[in-house]
Amino acid sequence: MRGLYVQNVSKSFNGVKALDGVELSVEQGEFMVIMGPSGCGKTTLLLVILGALKPDKGLIWIGDREISRLPIEERNIGYVPQDFGLFPHLNVYENIAFGLRVKGYSKSEVDSKVKSLLRMVDLEGFELRKPRELSGGQRQRVALARALAINPSLLLLDEPLSNIDEATKSDVIANLKNLQRKTGITTVCVTHNPEDAFKLGDRIAIMYLGKIIQCGKPKEILENPKNEVIKRLIAPVLI
Amino acid sequence: MDRFDVALKMMASIIVIYMLISILYLYIAVGENWGLVLSALLESRVHGAIFISISSAILVGILAVAAAIPVAYVLTYANFRGKDILETFLVELPQTFPPVTEGLVYLLMFGRLGLAYTFAAVIIAKFYVSAPFTISFAVRRFTEVRESGIDVIARSLGARTSHILSKILLPLTAKDLLAGFSLTWARAMGELAATLVFAGAIPWVTETLPALIYLASNEKPQVAIAASVIAETLSMISLLSFKLIARRK
Repeated sequence: MRGLYVQNVSKSFNGVKALDGVELSVEQGEFMVIMGPSGCGKTTLLLVILGALKPDKGLIWIGDREISRLPIEERNIGYVPQDFGLFPHLNVYENIAFGLRVKGYSKSEVDSKVKSLLRMVDLEGFELRKPRELSGGQRQRVALARALAINPSLLLLDEPLSNIDEATKSDVIANLKNLQRKTGITTVCVTHNPEDAFKLGDRIAIMYLGKIIQCGKPKEILENPKNEVIKRLIAPVLI
Repeated sequence: MDRFDVALKMMASIIVIYMLISILYLYIAVGENWGLVLSALLESRVHGAIFISISSAILVGILAVAAAIPVAYVLTYANFRGKDILETFLVELPQTFPPVTEGLVYLLMFGRLGLAYTFAAVIIAKFYVSAPFTISFAVRRFTEVRESGIDVIARSLGARTSHILSKILLPLTAKDLLAGFSLTWARAMGELAATLVFAGAIPWVTETLPALIYLASNEKPQVAIAASVIAETLSMISLLSFKLIARRK
Protein backbone atom coordinates (compact mmCIF):
# COMPACT_ATOMS: atom_id res chain seq x y z
CA MET A 1 0.00 0.00 0.00
CA ARG A 2 1.23 3.48 -0.87
CA GLY A 3 2.00 5.82 2.07
CA LEU A 4 2.93 8.92 0.06
CA TYR A 5 2.77 9.80 -3.60
CA VAL A 6 4.30 12.99 -4.99
CA GLN A 7 2.89 13.39 -8.48
CA ASN A 8 4.70 15.56 -11.00
CA VAL A 9 5.41 18.42 -8.56
CA SER A 10 7.18 21.57 -9.73
CA LYS A 11 8.12 24.70 -7.86
CA SER A 12 10.07 27.78 -8.97
CA PHE A 13 11.44 30.76 -7.08
CA ASN A 14 11.85 33.92 -9.18
CA GLY A 15 12.00 31.88 -12.36
CA VAL A 16 14.55 29.38 -10.98
CA LYS A 17 13.23 25.81 -10.87
CA ALA A 18 13.72 24.30 -7.41
CA LEU A 19 11.54 21.26 -8.19
CA ASP A 20 11.13 20.04 -11.73
CA GLY A 21 8.36 17.48 -12.17
CA VAL A 22 9.23 15.42 -9.09
CA GLU A 23 7.70 11.92 -8.93
CA LEU A 24 8.13 9.96 -5.72
CA SER A 25 6.26 7.02 -4.29
CA VAL A 26 6.80 5.83 -0.71
CA GLU A 27 5.30 2.60 0.62
CA GLN A 28 3.29 2.57 3.84
CA GLY A 29 5.70 2.13 6.78
CA GLU A 30 8.78 2.66 4.63
CA PHE A 31 11.80 4.81 5.59
CA MET A 32 12.61 6.78 2.44
CA VAL A 33 15.70 8.98 2.33
CA ILE A 34 16.01 11.76 -0.22
CA MET A 35 19.69 12.40 -0.74
CA GLY A 36 21.32 15.13 -2.78
CA PRO A 37 23.78 18.01 -2.67
CA SER A 38 22.93 21.36 -1.06
CA GLY A 39 20.52 23.38 -3.19
CA CYS A 40 19.16 20.41 -5.14
CA GLY A 41 15.60 21.08 -3.88
CA LYS A 42 15.21 18.40 -1.21
CA THR A 43 14.13 20.76 1.60
CA THR A 44 11.78 22.53 -0.83
CA LEU A 45 10.21 19.14 -1.61
CA LEU A 46 9.79 18.45 2.11
CA LEU A 47 8.13 21.85 2.66
CA VAL A 48 5.80 21.29 -0.31
CA ILE A 49 4.73 17.91 1.14
CA LEU A 50 4.26 19.56 4.55
CA GLY A 51 2.17 22.35 3.03
CA ALA A 52 4.44 25.24 4.03
CA LEU A 53 5.08 25.92 0.31
CA LYS A 54 2.53 25.76 -2.49
CA PRO A 55 3.66 23.85 -5.56
CA ASP A 56 3.28 25.55 -8.95
CA LYS A 57 1.88 22.28 -10.26
CA GLY A 58 1.47 18.66 -9.26
CA LEU A 59 -0.37 16.76 -6.54
CA ILE A 60 0.47 15.24 -3.16
CA TRP A 61 -1.27 12.09 -1.93
CA ILE A 62 -1.14 10.48 1.51
CA GLY A 63 -2.64 7.01 1.09
CA ASP A 64 -5.70 7.58 -1.08
CA ARG A 65 -6.23 11.13 0.22
CA GLU A 66 -5.22 14.01 -2.04
CA ILE A 67 -3.88 16.70 0.30
CA SER A 68 -2.43 19.31 -2.08
CA ARG A 69 -5.06 21.93 -1.25
CA LEU A 70 -5.27 21.27 2.49
CA PRO A 71 -3.72 23.81 4.88
CA ILE A 72 -0.77 22.56 6.96
CA GLU A 73 -2.84 22.12 10.10
CA GLU A 74 -5.19 19.68 8.37
CA ARG A 75 -2.56 17.46 6.73
CA ASN A 76 -1.65 15.49 9.87
CA ILE A 77 2.05 15.36 9.05
CA GLY A 78 4.76 15.18 11.73
CA TYR A 79 7.72 17.43 10.92
CA VAL A 80 11.16 17.64 12.52
CA PRO A 81 13.27 20.45 11.04
CA GLN A 82 17.04 20.60 10.95
CA ASP A 83 17.29 22.73 14.12
CA PHE A 84 14.48 20.66 15.73
CA GLY A 85 12.31 23.80 16.12
CA LEU A 86 11.39 23.25 19.75
CA PHE A 87 9.23 25.97 21.28
CA PRO A 88 11.81 27.80 23.43
CA HIS A 89 9.32 29.09 26.00
CA LEU A 90 7.80 25.65 26.71
CA ASN A 91 9.35 22.79 28.68
CA VAL A 92 9.77 19.25 27.35
CA TYR A 93 6.34 18.11 28.57
CA GLU A 94 4.57 21.17 27.12
CA ASN A 95 6.41 20.83 23.81
CA ILE A 96 5.25 17.24 23.40
CA ALA A 97 1.73 18.07 24.63
CA PHE A 98 1.34 21.05 22.26
CA GLY A 99 -0.32 19.24 19.36
CA LEU A 100 -2.62 17.25 21.63
CA ARG A 101 -3.76 20.36 23.48
CA VAL A 102 -4.55 22.37 20.35
CA LYS A 103 -6.47 19.38 19.01
CA GLY A 104 -8.62 19.46 22.15
CA TYR A 105 -7.57 16.22 23.89
CA SER A 106 -8.59 15.97 27.56
CA LYS A 107 -6.03 16.60 30.30
CA SER A 108 -5.81 12.91 31.22
CA GLU A 109 -5.45 11.84 27.56
CA VAL A 110 -2.67 14.39 27.07
CA ASP A 111 -0.92 13.24 30.23
CA SER A 112 -1.01 9.54 29.40
CA LYS A 113 0.09 10.09 25.78
CA VAL A 114 2.96 12.43 26.75
CA LYS A 115 4.18 10.01 29.44
CA SER A 116 4.18 7.09 27.02
CA LEU A 117 6.09 9.16 24.42
CA LEU A 118 8.63 10.27 27.04
CA ARG A 119 9.18 6.57 27.84
CA MET A 120 9.49 5.76 24.14
CA VAL A 121 12.20 8.37 23.54
CA ASP A 122 13.86 7.64 26.87
CA LEU A 123 13.39 11.11 28.34
CA GLU A 124 11.53 10.34 31.55
CA GLY A 125 12.58 12.79 34.25
CA PHE A 126 13.26 15.56 31.70
CA GLU A 127 9.66 16.86 31.63
CA LEU A 128 10.37 20.23 33.23
CA ARG A 129 13.55 21.07 31.34
CA LYS A 130 13.53 23.87 28.79
CA PRO A 131 14.98 23.13 25.30
CA ARG A 132 18.12 25.19 26.06
CA GLU A 133 18.92 22.80 28.93
CA LEU A 134 19.07 19.74 26.63
CA SER A 135 21.81 18.26 24.44
CA GLY A 136 21.40 18.05 20.64
CA GLY A 137 20.36 14.39 20.80
CA GLN A 138 17.85 15.04 23.57
CA ARG A 139 16.34 17.97 21.67
CA GLN A 140 15.93 15.76 18.63
CA ARG A 141 14.12 13.10 20.70
CA VAL A 142 11.76 15.74 22.10
CA ALA A 143 11.07 16.98 18.56
CA LEU A 144 10.39 13.41 17.42
CA ALA A 145 8.08 12.74 20.36
CA ARG A 146 6.24 16.00 19.67
CA ALA A 147 5.81 15.10 16.00
CA LEU A 148 4.62 11.57 16.84
CA ALA A 149 2.19 12.76 19.53
CA ILE A 150 -0.47 13.67 16.96
CA ASN A 151 -0.39 10.15 15.41
CA PRO A 152 0.69 11.55 12.04
CA SER A 153 0.11 9.74 8.75
CA LEU A 154 3.59 10.74 7.62
CA LEU A 155 6.82 11.82 9.33
CA LEU A 156 9.17 14.31 7.64
CA LEU A 157 12.75 14.67 8.88
CA ASP A 158 14.98 17.45 7.58
CA GLU A 159 18.70 16.65 7.92
CA PRO A 160 18.14 14.84 11.24
CA LEU A 161 21.84 14.14 11.81
CA SER A 162 23.34 17.50 10.94
CA ASN A 163 23.15 18.85 14.51
CA ILE A 164 24.33 15.63 16.13
CA ASP A 165 27.99 15.16 17.07
CA GLU A 166 29.91 12.26 15.50
CA ALA A 167 30.33 10.41 18.82
CA THR A 168 26.58 9.91 19.28
CA LYS A 169 25.60 9.67 15.60
CA SER A 170 25.43 5.87 15.44
CA ASP A 171 23.22 5.77 18.56
CA VAL A 172 20.92 8.40 17.06
CA ILE A 173 20.67 6.46 13.78
CA ALA A 174 19.82 3.27 15.70
CA ASN A 175 17.23 5.16 17.77
CA LEU A 176 15.64 6.72 14.69
CA LYS A 177 15.40 3.39 12.87
CA ASN A 178 14.12 1.66 15.98
CA LEU A 179 11.48 4.32 16.62
CA GLN A 180 10.33 4.23 13.01
CA ARG A 181 10.01 0.43 13.04
CA LYS A 182 8.20 0.50 16.38
CA THR A 183 5.64 3.06 15.21
CA GLY A 184 5.46 1.78 11.61
CA ILE A 185 5.06 5.34 10.39
CA THR A 186 5.84 6.22 6.77
CA THR A 187 8.95 8.43 6.97
CA VAL A 188 10.63 10.74 4.49
CA CYS A 189 14.02 12.07 5.51
CA VAL A 190 16.27 14.42 3.58
CA THR A 191 20.04 14.55 3.90
CA HIS A 192 23.04 15.74 1.92
CA ASN A 193 25.27 13.09 3.52
CA PRO A 194 25.44 9.82 1.51
CA GLU A 195 26.79 7.80 4.45
CA ASP A 196 23.83 8.84 6.64
CA ALA A 197 21.45 8.16 3.75
CA PHE A 198 22.68 4.60 3.25
CA LYS A 199 22.51 3.86 6.99
CA LEU A 200 19.00 5.24 7.43
CA GLY A 201 17.00 4.45 4.32
CA ASP A 202 14.98 1.38 3.37
CA ARG A 203 15.11 3.07 -0.02
CA ILE A 204 17.01 6.09 -1.26
CA ALA A 205 15.88 8.68 -3.79
CA ILE A 206 18.76 10.64 -5.26
CA MET A 207 17.88 14.21 -6.11
CA TYR A 208 19.79 16.52 -8.40
CA LEU A 209 18.83 19.90 -9.87
CA GLY A 210 15.21 19.57 -8.73
CA LYS A 211 14.65 16.03 -10.07
CA ILE A 212 14.73 12.54 -8.61
CA ILE A 213 17.36 10.91 -10.82
CA GLN A 214 17.41 7.45 -9.25
CA CYS A 215 15.36 5.71 -6.58
CA GLY A 216 15.98 2.26 -5.14
CA LYS A 217 17.24 0.12 -2.28
CA PRO A 218 20.72 1.10 -1.01
CA LYS A 219 22.22 -2.11 -2.46
CA GLU A 220 20.66 -1.51 -5.90
CA ILE A 221 22.03 2.03 -6.06
CA LEU A 222 25.48 0.95 -4.90
CA GLU A 223 25.60 -1.85 -7.46
CA ASN A 224 23.96 -0.02 -10.35
CA PRO A 225 24.39 3.75 -10.18
CA LYS A 226 22.53 5.09 -13.21
CA ASN A 227 25.05 7.68 -14.28
CA GLU A 228 28.25 9.55 -13.46
CA VAL A 229 26.49 12.19 -11.32
CA ILE A 230 25.14 9.47 -9.03
CA LYS A 231 28.50 7.72 -8.90
CA ARG A 232 30.05 11.02 -7.80
CA LEU A 233 27.34 11.68 -5.19
CA ILE A 234 27.67 8.25 -3.59
CA ALA A 235 31.48 8.10 -3.88
CA PRO A 236 32.06 8.50 -0.10
CA VAL A 237 30.04 5.31 0.48
CA LEU A 238 31.84 3.39 -2.29
CA ILE A 239 35.20 4.25 -0.68
CA MET B 1 49.79 55.84 20.93
CA ASP B 2 47.23 55.81 18.10
CA ARG B 3 46.28 59.47 17.65
CA PHE B 4 43.19 58.65 15.60
CA ASP B 5 41.95 56.37 18.39
CA VAL B 6 42.47 59.15 20.95
CA ALA B 7 40.70 61.68 18.70
CA LEU B 8 37.68 59.41 18.31
CA LYS B 9 37.48 58.87 22.07
CA MET B 10 37.72 62.62 22.73
CA MET B 11 34.95 63.38 20.23
CA ALA B 12 32.76 60.71 21.78
CA SER B 13 33.46 62.10 25.27
CA ILE B 14 32.40 65.61 24.20
CA ILE B 15 29.12 64.27 22.79
CA VAL B 16 28.48 62.18 25.93
CA ILE B 17 29.12 65.16 28.22
CA TYR B 18 26.90 67.39 26.09
CA MET B 19 24.04 64.86 26.16
CA LEU B 20 24.37 64.24 29.92
CA ILE B 21 24.40 67.98 30.66
CA SER B 22 21.32 68.44 28.44
CA ILE B 23 19.52 65.86 30.55
CA LEU B 24 20.80 66.82 33.99
CA TYR B 25 21.04 70.62 33.65
CA LEU B 26 17.43 71.03 34.76
CA TYR B 27 18.27 69.62 38.20
CA ILE B 28 21.32 71.92 38.41
CA ALA B 29 19.28 74.94 37.27
CA VAL B 30 16.79 74.40 40.07
CA GLY B 31 19.78 75.04 42.36
CA GLU B 32 18.76 76.77 45.53
CA ASN B 33 15.15 77.13 44.40
CA TRP B 34 14.07 73.64 45.39
CA GLY B 35 11.80 75.23 47.99
CA LEU B 36 9.90 77.15 45.29
CA VAL B 37 9.70 74.07 43.10
CA LEU B 38 8.42 71.95 45.99
CA SER B 39 5.77 74.54 46.83
CA ALA B 40 4.70 74.57 43.17
CA LEU B 41 4.24 70.83 43.44
CA LEU B 42 1.41 71.50 45.90
CA GLU B 43 -0.61 73.42 43.30
CA SER B 44 -3.81 71.74 42.12
CA ARG B 45 -3.07 72.62 38.48
CA VAL B 46 0.22 70.68 38.67
CA HIS B 47 -1.61 67.69 40.23
CA GLY B 48 -4.15 67.84 37.40
CA ALA B 49 -1.42 67.89 34.75
CA ILE B 50 0.36 64.94 36.39
CA PHE B 51 -2.93 63.01 36.56
CA ILE B 52 -3.90 63.74 32.92
CA SER B 53 -0.40 63.01 31.63
CA ILE B 54 0.05 59.70 33.47
CA SER B 55 -3.50 58.40 32.95
CA SER B 56 -3.58 59.31 29.25
CA ALA B 57 -0.09 57.87 28.65
CA ILE B 58 -1.06 54.58 30.34
CA LEU B 59 -4.26 54.38 28.26
CA VAL B 60 -2.32 55.16 25.07
CA GLY B 61 0.21 52.44 25.99
CA ILE B 62 -2.55 49.86 26.51
CA LEU B 63 -4.29 50.86 23.26
CA ALA B 64 -0.95 50.71 21.42
CA VAL B 65 -0.37 47.12 22.60
CA ALA B 66 -3.93 46.17 21.60
CA ALA B 67 -3.42 47.75 18.17
CA ALA B 68 0.11 46.40 17.66
CA ILE B 69 -0.94 42.74 17.86
CA PRO B 70 -3.29 42.59 14.83
CA VAL B 71 -1.23 45.10 12.84
CA ALA B 72 2.01 43.17 13.44
CA TYR B 73 0.25 39.90 12.57
CA VAL B 74 -0.97 41.25 9.23
CA LEU B 75 2.36 42.93 8.40
CA THR B 76 4.18 39.68 9.23
CA TYR B 77 1.96 37.12 7.54
CA ALA B 78 -0.12 38.78 4.84
CA ASN B 79 1.40 39.06 1.40
CA PHE B 80 0.13 42.00 -0.59
CA ARG B 81 1.46 44.73 -2.81
CA GLY B 82 2.54 47.89 -1.03
CA LYS B 83 3.16 46.19 2.33
CA ASP B 84 6.42 48.13 2.77
CA ILE B 85 4.65 51.41 2.05
CA LEU B 86 1.88 50.55 4.52
CA GLU B 87 4.50 49.79 7.17
CA THR B 88 6.13 53.16 6.48
CA PHE B 89 2.73 54.88 6.95
CA LEU B 90 2.02 53.02 10.18
CA VAL B 91 5.43 53.01 11.82
CA GLU B 92 7.84 55.55 10.41
CA LEU B 93 5.68 58.40 9.14
CA PRO B 94 3.94 59.11 12.49
CA GLN B 95 7.39 59.48 14.05
CA THR B 96 8.51 62.05 11.47
CA PHE B 97 5.22 63.81 10.62
CA PRO B 98 4.92 67.20 12.40
CA PRO B 99 2.67 66.48 15.42
CA VAL B 100 1.19 69.98 15.22
CA THR B 101 -0.12 69.17 11.74
CA GLU B 102 -1.66 65.94 12.99
CA GLY B 103 -3.37 67.90 15.77
CA LEU B 104 -4.88 70.16 13.13
CA VAL B 105 -5.94 67.16 11.03
CA TYR B 106 -7.76 65.69 14.05
CA LEU B 107 -9.36 69.04 14.79
CA LEU B 108 -10.79 69.07 11.25
CA MET B 109 -11.70 65.36 11.33
CA PHE B 110 -13.26 65.05 14.78
CA GLY B 111 -14.02 68.66 15.71
CA ARG B 112 -17.61 68.44 14.45
CA LEU B 113 -18.16 65.25 16.44
CA GLY B 114 -17.56 67.14 19.66
CA LEU B 115 -14.34 65.31 20.44
CA ALA B 116 -12.08 68.37 20.41
CA TYR B 117 -10.91 69.69 23.79
CA THR B 118 -11.89 66.49 25.63
CA PHE B 119 -9.86 63.78 27.38
CA ALA B 120 -10.60 61.53 24.38
CA ALA B 121 -8.83 64.10 22.18
CA VAL B 122 -5.72 63.80 24.38
CA ILE B 123 -5.73 60.02 23.81
CA ILE B 124 -6.33 60.30 20.05
CA ALA B 125 -3.55 62.87 19.57
CA LYS B 126 -1.01 60.99 21.70
CA PHE B 127 -1.86 57.61 20.17
CA TYR B 128 -0.93 58.65 16.63
CA VAL B 129 2.47 59.93 17.68
CA SER B 130 3.34 57.26 20.27
CA ALA B 131 1.80 53.93 19.19
CA PRO B 132 4.32 53.31 16.35
CA PHE B 133 6.98 52.41 18.94
CA THR B 134 4.96 49.40 20.13
CA ILE B 135 3.86 48.48 16.60
CA SER B 136 7.47 48.55 15.43
CA PHE B 137 8.64 46.31 18.33
CA ALA B 138 5.81 43.83 17.68
CA VAL B 139 6.43 43.67 13.91
CA ARG B 140 10.15 43.04 14.44
CA ARG B 141 9.58 40.24 16.97
CA PHE B 142 6.70 38.60 15.05
CA THR B 143 8.98 38.57 11.99
CA GLU B 144 11.76 36.91 13.99
CA VAL B 145 9.35 34.19 15.16
CA ARG B 146 8.18 33.67 11.59
CA GLU B 147 11.74 33.42 10.33
CA SER B 148 12.56 30.81 13.00
CA GLY B 149 9.86 28.59 11.44
CA ILE B 150 8.34 27.46 14.74
CA ASP B 151 4.95 28.80 13.67
CA VAL B 152 5.02 26.33 10.74
CA ILE B 153 5.81 23.52 13.17
CA ALA B 154 2.95 24.62 15.40
CA ARG B 155 0.61 24.57 12.40
CA SER B 156 1.84 21.10 11.41
CA LEU B 157 0.77 19.99 14.89
CA GLY B 158 -2.75 21.27 14.25
CA ALA B 159 -2.52 24.83 15.59
CA ARG B 160 -4.85 27.39 14.06
CA THR B 161 -4.29 31.15 13.94
CA SER B 162 -5.77 31.68 17.42
CA HIS B 163 -3.35 29.07 18.85
CA ILE B 164 -0.38 30.55 16.97
CA LEU B 165 -1.21 33.94 18.46
CA SER B 166 -2.00 32.85 22.02
CA LYS B 167 0.51 30.02 22.47
CA ILE B 168 3.45 31.06 20.28
CA LEU B 169 3.52 34.71 19.22
CA LEU B 170 2.25 36.41 22.38
CA PRO B 171 4.33 34.44 24.91
CA LEU B 172 7.45 34.97 22.79
CA THR B 173 6.67 38.67 22.23
CA ALA B 174 5.48 39.60 25.72
CA LYS B 175 8.74 41.29 26.78
CA ASP B 176 8.95 43.21 23.50
CA LEU B 177 5.36 44.39 23.85
CA LEU B 178 6.16 45.51 27.40
CA ALA B 179 9.25 47.35 26.15
CA GLY B 180 7.13 48.91 23.38
CA PHE B 181 4.53 49.92 25.98
CA SER B 182 7.28 51.59 28.02
CA LEU B 183 8.59 53.64 25.07
CA THR B 184 5.07 54.52 23.93
CA TRP B 185 4.25 55.63 27.46
CA ALA B 186 7.39 57.81 27.61
CA ARG B 187 6.68 59.35 24.18
CA ALA B 188 3.04 59.98 25.11
CA MET B 189 4.16 61.67 28.33
CA GLY B 190 6.27 64.10 26.31
CA GLU B 191 3.83 64.80 23.46
CA LEU B 192 2.81 68.46 23.25
CA ALA B 193 1.94 69.87 19.84
CA ALA B 194 -0.78 67.51 18.58
CA THR B 195 -2.41 67.42 22.01
CA LEU B 196 -2.31 71.20 22.46
CA VAL B 197 -3.91 71.86 19.05
CA PHE B 198 -6.59 69.16 19.22
CA ALA B 199 -7.27 68.88 22.96
CA GLY B 200 -6.24 72.32 24.26
CA ALA B 201 -5.07 72.73 27.85
CA ILE B 202 -8.04 72.69 30.21
CA PRO B 203 -6.82 72.02 33.77
CA TRP B 204 -7.91 68.59 35.09
CA VAL B 205 -9.43 67.74 31.65
CA THR B 206 -6.82 68.04 28.90
CA GLU B 207 -3.86 69.92 30.37
CA THR B 208 -0.79 67.66 30.35
CA LEU B 209 2.64 68.27 31.91
CA PRO B 210 4.22 69.46 28.61
CA ALA B 211 1.27 71.83 28.03
CA LEU B 212 1.58 73.16 31.56
CA ILE B 213 5.36 73.68 31.11
CA TYR B 214 4.73 75.54 27.84
CA LEU B 215 1.94 77.75 29.16
CA ALA B 216 3.47 78.49 32.58
CA SER B 217 7.03 79.14 31.42
CA ASN B 218 6.44 82.93 31.20
CA GLU B 219 3.99 83.75 33.95
CA LYS B 220 4.92 81.14 36.57
CA PRO B 221 8.41 79.81 35.83
CA GLN B 222 8.66 77.92 39.15
CA VAL B 223 5.53 75.91 38.18
CA ALA B 224 7.02 75.21 34.74
CA ILE B 225 10.30 74.06 36.31
CA ALA B 226 8.48 71.87 38.86
CA ALA B 227 6.46 70.26 36.05
CA SER B 228 9.64 69.81 34.00
CA VAL B 229 11.43 68.07 36.88
CA ILE B 230 8.49 65.67 37.24
CA ALA B 231 8.23 65.02 33.48
CA GLU B 232 11.96 64.44 33.07
CA THR B 233 12.24 62.20 36.14
CA LEU B 234 9.27 60.09 35.03
CA SER B 235 10.74 59.80 31.55
CA MET B 236 14.12 58.64 32.91
CA ILE B 237 12.51 56.09 35.24
CA SER B 238 10.45 54.73 32.35
CA LEU B 239 13.42 54.38 30.00
CA LEU B 240 15.63 52.83 32.66
CA SER B 241 12.88 50.24 33.34
CA PHE B 242 12.79 49.57 29.58
CA LYS B 243 16.54 48.92 29.60
CA LEU B 244 16.15 46.55 32.55
CA ILE B 245 13.40 44.63 30.75
CA ALA B 246 15.53 44.38 27.61
CA ARG B 247 18.55 43.17 29.61
CA ARG B 248 16.51 40.40 31.28
CA LYS B 249 15.73 38.96 27.82
